[in-house]
Amino acid sequence: MSGESTPAEPRTIESGTIIPPWRMADVSPARMKTMAAILRDPYPVHWDRDAVAQLGRGQRVINQGPLNLSYITNMLMAWQGDTCVRRLQVSFADPVLDHQDVTATGMVTSLDMVDGELRATCDVQLVRAGESVVNGVAVVALREQ
Amino acid sequence: MDSPTEAEVLALVGHRFPGGTRTIEHWENWLLTDCTGRNPLPHQLVHPVALFHVPIQGAGTSIAELFALGQVEGPGSVGLDSYDWEYFQPLHEDVDYRFEGGVTDVERCQTAGGKTYDRFVFSIDLSDPQGAPVARITNHWRLRR
Repeated sequence: MSGESTPAEPRTIESGTIIPPWRMADVSPARMKTMAAILRDPYPVHWDRDAVAQLGRGQRVINQGPLNLSYITNMLMAWQGDTCVRRLQVSFADPVLDHQDVTATGMVTSLDMVDGELRATCDVQLVRAGESVVNGVAVVALREQ
Repeated sequence: MDSPTEAEVLALVGHRFPGGTRTIEHWENWLLTDCTGRNPLPHQLVHPVALFHVPIQGAGTSIAELFALGQVEGPGSVGLDSYDWEYFQPLHEDVDYRFEGGVTDVERCQTAGGKTYDRFVFSIDLSDPQGAPVARITNHWRLRR
């Protein structure tokens, strides 16, 4: 596996808490092909470099938006467990290309008790070389503190 | 493909997908999770990013059919604007989920540079075999004209 995460340290979670980042150091064109088959996605920009060249982005392929979002969900699950995600509201600012290095980041902005569980609302981003390519808000159920 | 008129695209609002049921098999979840760069999830949990393609396919449509409905084709014709995904309970492999949804909004827009696109919004609800809500997705796509 190429994803890298930093284990969360036990501590009190509060507004302003930084979520341990999750890095995908080398976005794989092979995984894009597998993903295209799983999605039954006929859009050629994910597997045909000539199609992307027509768009002026060079002989590259474009990572699927859901995969970009998955790096954010992987960060959240590494932080608060595999069933923690309650809501994802994200916008896509710029495509991620093959072999780029991206890191999911996040910060808690508020805490609320909902349906008997403590939930954190978090600003989340996928960052490439200091530029936000996906950004939005995630709601996460917190483990017992 | 000729660009549709504004009236033609606005008429898509209210279009309902056929609806149906779908399971997520282990092999599919394994490959999907591998594409995200993390290890397989325990306890037959499905990776949260399955909420992109599984609702589309479960509702009885496909990415290709959505492109045809929106009258777009070719590289650069479609972009992702945003997702809003709500998780009411974790998804598991081999559960026969029910899917219902349709096109909820379409708006003809212009970029700052004067290029025309249509904001195409569809929403799909997932429920479990007992009828309990599992998830709801609302996807905003940009169909460039």
